[in-house]
Amino acid sequence: MLLASHLRKEYANVVAVDDVSLEVKKGEIFGLLGPNGAGKTTTIRMILNIVPPDRGAVSVDGKPVVGLTRNFVGYLPEERGLYRKNKLLNAIIYFATLRGVGVAEAKRRAYEWLGRFDLLSYCDRKIEELSKGNQQKVQFIISVLHDPRLVILDEPFSGLDPVNQIVLKDVLSEMRQRGKAIVFSTHMMEQAEKLCEKICLINRGRVVLEGELAEVKQRFGKNTIHLEFDGDGTFLSALPGVKKSLVYENSAEIELDGRRTPGEMLREIVQTVNIRKFELREPSLQSIFLQTVGSETAPLIRSSQ
Amino acid sequence: MMTKAFTVARWEYVEKIKSKTFLITLFLMPIIMIGFGLLSGLLASQPDTGSKVIGIIDLSGAIGQPLAKYLEEHYRLPDGGPNYVLRPLEISEGVEMNQLKRQSDSLTANGEIEGYLIVGKSILTDTSVEYRSQNIGNLRVTERMSRAIRDLVIEQKLISQGLNPKLTKDLTRPIDLKTIKLSKSGKEEEAGFEKVFFTSYIFMMMMFFLVMTSGQLLVRSMLEEKSNRVVEVLMSSCSSTDLMAGKIIGLSGLGFTQIGFWAAIGIAISLNYAITMISIGSALLLLVYFVLGYLLYAAIFVAAGSPVSTEQEAQQITSYLTIVLILPIVLVIPILQDPNSLMVKVMTFIPLLTPTMMAMRIPIQMPSELEIILSIAILFFSMVGAVWIAGKIFRTAILVYGKRPTLPELFRILRTP
Repeated sequence: MLLASHLRKEYANVVAVDDVSLEVKKGEIFGLLGPNGAGKTTTIRMILNIVPPDRGAVSVDGKPVVGLTRNFVGYLPEERGLYRKNKLLNAIIYFATLRGVGVAEAKRRAYEWLGRFDLLSYCDRKIEELSKGNQQKVQFIISVLHDPRLVILDEPFSGLDPVNQIVLKDVLSEMRQRGKAIVFSTHMMEQAEKLCEKICLINRGRVVLEGELAEVKQRFGKNTIHLEFDGDGTFLSALPGVKKSLVYENSAEIELDGRRTPGEMLREIVQTVNIRKFELREPSLQSIFLQTVGSETAPLIRSSQ
Repeated sequence: MMTKAFTVARWEYVEKIKSKTFLITLFLMPIIMIGFGLLSGLLASQPDTGSKVIGIIDLSGAIGQPLAKYLEEHYRLPDGGPNYVLRPLEISEGVEMNQLKRQSDSLTANGEIEGYLIVGKSILTDTSVEYRSQNIGNLRVTERMSRAIRDLVIEQKLISQGLNPKLTKDLTRPIDLKTIKLSKSGKEEEAGFEKVFFTSYIFMMMMFFLVMTSGQLLVRSMLEEKSNRVVEVLMSSCSSTDLMAGKIIGLSGLGFTQIGFWAAIGIAISLNYAITMISIGSALLLLVYFVLGYLLYAAIFVAAGSPVSTEQEAQQITSYLTIVLILPIVLVIPILQDPNSLMVKVMTFIPLLTPTMMAMRIPIQMPSELEIILSIAILFFSMVGAVWIAGKIFRTAILVYGKRPTLPELFRILRTP
């Protein structure tokens, strides 16, 4: 469906994106991950044909994106991306008609979506009068109202409360079932982990990790303890046998260095805190992210070496 | 994909025309203009309500009496009473002139007299008169006094030459010079200098207002979409060309609506005076210049406005461009005096000035066909070039936040395909 090969973009002697390739298939949620400033937005802009790449090419269904009428794609930019002074319904209809939907049809679909996201009572309000979460919902509606084949969402969950997060997740999996290709860009690893089948991790303009999520995780091995507990867990990172650890208030992720077995670790940990859950599996995406991108971006990581 | 451009244009037009700011400007502006016009007209033509006492120190002894009569004959209040009462200020023996002035000044200061005239001894030869008042801004009084005294002096001079003063009115009647403008075919069109001037001026003002309004709207709308990041969503839905064209079309439509509305009011008020005295041919030709010139300016506004990312910068940019626009208006008078001078001919071929130059030249004297074709061609190609450059800059600059591109960067932008 979407194929980007060897994209490169340079701005005023800074290489923003270098040799990034990615492929997104129909019915797939693809996670485009990376820290702030990694080059995600520039990559997206090149895919959208907003910015021409210095090198490389993008094609959709085998056709180069340069010559295409831009109705095939829906884009939700990170934060804002909305007119402030205009009425909500008018703005939604405008973007839909701009992407080739008739006015009457656009209106019908707008009501449908507004109903689904519980926004019907705001139709005639100005967008600036809406809360941030509601604006985010409006933005999402705008990006999908014309029923595009490819949807690119940059941090779509920001500002949404848990209820609306679930609504959005449902919508996304529905769209996936209908064969849409979805590119989901975020630096919230937990969300990416729950949603994506495939990921591509970009750092400093380059792809540093890519593939099926499950397969990527396997690459990092199964020797990570996922722990939930009550008590003070600060001692965990200093235990012998720990290679790397992420310690939060009531949970921790500990990668073993192989010198001690998980059983030995468990026996020792039990003596200090009250364990609610103990599990041995692949590291979380969060920890993979931190390992790959480098510890300097993550104040929470504590290396025991 | 022009349909996308029109969708953008419709959005820009419909949403802005509904906005309060636009409606307020649309209706308030004429109300203010008419209000001011009426008010000042009303104040200026308001007759005095009571007689004004004007003092006179007549050193010549020849003006005082006739002036009193003259004023009584010519100027009366609406109720029939005299508008001006002349009060001779005594010249008694032994009173110094300076002292007399001081006395009279205090009379003026305490409001007993409006002001006073000092007619010199030799008024008939050196024709100089002094008017002293606290309110010398009252043009009506000064103008009437000077005319009255001039008439009287002429009359007395004629009498002293042995001529019948009754002849004077006849002799001094001003000549009514009718200016008849001949068209190329020799047909006569009655068009006075004022009317020609007025046509050119209306055209220029229309151009000015149109460019100013829609230019500012353009810069503002780009700025708004940029700061909202709406532009990224737009650019993912349509090409930058569609977006730019749509904006120019929509916002020009808005500008045209505005000046059209104002012009309609203006014509309704001053009816028959404007527009009517140029031929349809000239009008169409002017329209060509108008549209081409307008597009050229719009492209410049887009090119200059798309890199802007703050309100202050936008203000700066629009004020620079305003100067370029005002320049031809400043040059009106010297051009009107000699529309065939070399300077004017040269300026006709500077694209930014072409429309205004032609607006001044065509109603006065139709330039040669060669000049017209050449100037249209130059204007057209500059317009196309400007739109092309603006499109390139727009495409890149509209996505850059925070910093204005430097010259080398601009060149790089232009070289990318």
